[in-house]
Amino acid sequence: MTTQATEVRRRTDLFHTLCPSVVSGIVLGAAAAVVFGFIAHLLAGEDNPDAPVAAAYTAWVIFFFIGIGAFNGIFKWGFGRREPTHEEEMALAGKDQGLWRYFRFTTDHKVVGMQYLATVLVMFFIGSMGAFMIRLEQSRPGAIFFNPQTYNTIVGMHGIIMIVTTIVMVSGPFGNFILPIMIGARDMAFPRLNALSYWLLFTVIPMFISTLLFAGFPTGWTGYAPLSVQELTPGMDAYCFTIIVFGLSVTVAAINIVTTVITMRTKGMTWGRLPVMVWGVLLSVILGLTAFPSFIIAQTLVLMDRIFQTSFFIAAYGGNNWLYEHLFWFMGHPEVYVIAIPALAVAAEVATVFTRKPVYGYKLLIGGLIGIAVLSVLVWGHHLYLSGSENALDGPFMLDTELISIPTGVFFLALIGTLWRGRIWVTVPMLFVCAVLVNFVIGGVTGIYLADLPTDELLHGGMFVTAHFHFTLVGAGVFAFFSGFYYWFPKMVGKRLNTGLGQLHFWLFEIGFVGTFLSLFYAGLQGEPRWSANIAPPFATANLIASLFAILIAASVFVAVYNVIITLARGEKAETNEWGARTLEWTIPTPVPLENFGEELPVVTSLPYNYEPEPVAAAESPSAPASGSAGTPLQPQSGD
Amino acid sequence: MSTSVSEHIYELEPHVKVARARAGVLLFIFSDALSVLAILAAGGYLSALNTEGAFMGKGDHPPAFLPTLGVAILLVLSGICYYLWERRERQSADSAPRVVYILAWALMLVTLAGQLWISITTKFATIDAYASVIIMLNWYSVFHYALAAIIGLLLLGRVLQGRRAGHDYVVEAIGYWWYYTVIASLLMWIFGMLL
Repeated sequence: MTTQATEVRRRTDLFHTLCPSVVSGIVLGAAAAVVFGFIAHLLAGEDNPDAPVAAAYTAWVIFFFIGIGAFNGIFKWGFGRREPTHEEEMALAGKDQGLWRYFRFTTDHKVVGMQYLATVLVMFFIGSMGAFMIRLEQSRPGAIFFNPQTYNTIVGMHGIIMIVTTIVMVSGPFGNFILPIMIGARDMAFPRLNALSYWLLFTVIPMFISTLLFAGFPTGWTGYAPLSVQELTPGMDAYCFTIIVFGLSVTVAAINIVTTVITMRTKGMTWGRLPVMVWGVLLSVILGLTAFPSFIIAQTLVLMDRIFQTSFFIAAYGGNNWLYEHLFWFMGHPEVYVIAIPALAVAAEVATVFTRKPVYGYKLLIGGLIGIAVLSVLVWGHHLYLSGSENALDGPFMLDTELISIPTGVFFLALIGTLWRGRIWVTVPMLFVCAVLVNFVIGGVTGIYLADLPTDELLHGGMFVTAHFHFTLVGAGVFAFFSGFYYWFPKMVGKRLNTGLGQLHFWLFEIGFVGTFLSLFYAGLQGEPRWSANIAPPFATANLIASLFAILIAASVFVAVYNVIITLARGEKAETNEWGARTLEWTIPTPVPLENFGEELPVVTSLPYNYEPEPVAAAESPSAPASGSAGTPLQPQSGD
Repeated sequence: MSTSVSEHIYELEPHVKVARARAGVLLFIFSDALSVLAILAAGGYLSALNTEGAFMGKGDHPPAFLPTLGVAILLVLSGICYYLWERRERQSADSAPRVVYILAWALMLVTLAGQLWISITTKFATIDAYASVIIMLNWYSVFHYALAAIIGLLLLGRVLQGRRAGHDYVVEAIGYWWYYTVIASLLMWIFGMLL
């Protein structure tokens, strides 16, 4: 009898553990996708293969959220029946659920931040391997490993995975984990929306991978119509759904982050005292909130053309491909700054800590970021220079685009001013900041040639463009992310990443990256087009060199993965204030308590960059950090 | 992965709750307004381009005026009812007549039903670009009414159970969406008529 009771209790516990969780979400979502896909197939018939796919994806998302328990709150507390109890709030925040809380609809912003971080790292790994496959294929002329169809799908998937990842790489992990603490808040403004934004992103991943089951999407990451409409593979539907659901995730996250910064700042945290990173994330998500609706609408129109045979992009019935290009690039160009702005802000945040100096020209720097954000929504037309559309606006678009160099230059002036005469502590995060300076200048300067119509006519559609945007997005965005990653990892995880492996990761990555894409700049100047699976013999040498350098990038990825794994397994415990920084997140214990601060919230009286003239770091010879650590830990200092 | 959990849930200050609700809804409206703008811009752009002279086929016609006007009137009435109820509610919580809110919500439901009927029954000989834009406008209006009706249903629970004390900001924030739905849908209707 006792054994039976124990067995029943064990089964009940297992059931309560799995339901609701990501497991029940996946099971219910997948089952619903099959059922609804089948029903739609019966209703739509053989002539409309897109309808079942659309029904399946819609059902997958809705029923995944039912399965993971996202609607439980509405059923329990909706309709004004009662407010959630203390115990229910604690359960939602992940109390007593151990590591399993990372696999549930948990509202604690730190859990959501860690979920984003893990997802970003996994997606980076997958995207990097896609890049390596591209370089393998292009290492010498002729089809080596893939046929053109497979190659196109790999390029498209690499593009989308990396774009999606880089859009959330700062505002996801750091914007959720670090930002609320930085402004002195106990949580995000809308904890449930916070969990919703992450799990929406999660539902996108299987949806996107499923494109492989449906013959891929040969349009590449831009998904240009009318090819996307004419392209009969249902993989294109998967692409559209991926973008729509990802856009919803970004929108929900943006609303939450903006509301948090507006309404949840602690006493004294005025707009003029916000840490630079907070400004960066705030501007990025406002930009995302502005840009993404047109992208969502663009994909909705493509789906309507595919499923309901409307004619938004079919010229014979009055549709037009330029409509797609406008809607797409109204998101597509600001998206570069959705990625770059928070990344640059992270670089500035890290630079001030490791120079032990206040940010040079704080207001100037913030003004520069705001200027970039405002101008970036006015420049999309330069992507249509060669589309054949009306060119009356080419001049204004050219001018707008070049104007962006001014606020960008102001930002870089402020960043260099921060480093100037600082006592620079050469840590792994600081190495990545230095790389951002080098890479983004190359990316920015080469962008001028693409902003100018005469030179763009020569370079458009070539490898020069590929190299340019990689220097911008990877050279600035990804390098700055890794700067923040090495900087905040001790606070987020409570362990210290290995410095030696971090340095190895950095040098392999930077040398490999610069070598690869400088070679592709050369290939582009020689006239090599993009979107070609087989390279022509005149470009063989440049591509071979690029592919050899890409091996270093691939090696750097494995070093980073190894570093994370061994740190999680047996890394040293991190100090509360690992770097002697002055922002609020370093004033609270590690691991961070559920609601971040004790009884009283901190009161801020000044900017968090008031370092002493002779910092402790200098006295402890920070340029030679202890072996096996990410730097010599400093004595904790109280925040403002 | 070691974020610890301790035994506290701190209540937000009332003014933060109010500001949070206002900001959240206004940002949502901002995002949605941009998507409405994108659709209107798409329609205007295709109309101006008139690619191959095929934007509007010979058999094409604007949506039937009277039924769509009826839906627009119902929508405006719903907005007025909500406004009247919200004003009384702000003056004295829990004393505003429930029936006015129920009427606002019921009118929104009827508007939704009417718009659904229009969207389903509007037929075109050829689904050219003009027809595509009208179909999109019709169904996007359905989406807005449905969302307002669902949000209204959640509020209805509080109204019927008399649990609005301390939640005035919920009424205000939902009001923002309600009025926005009215304005955005009217704009889409007028645009569809003039296209």
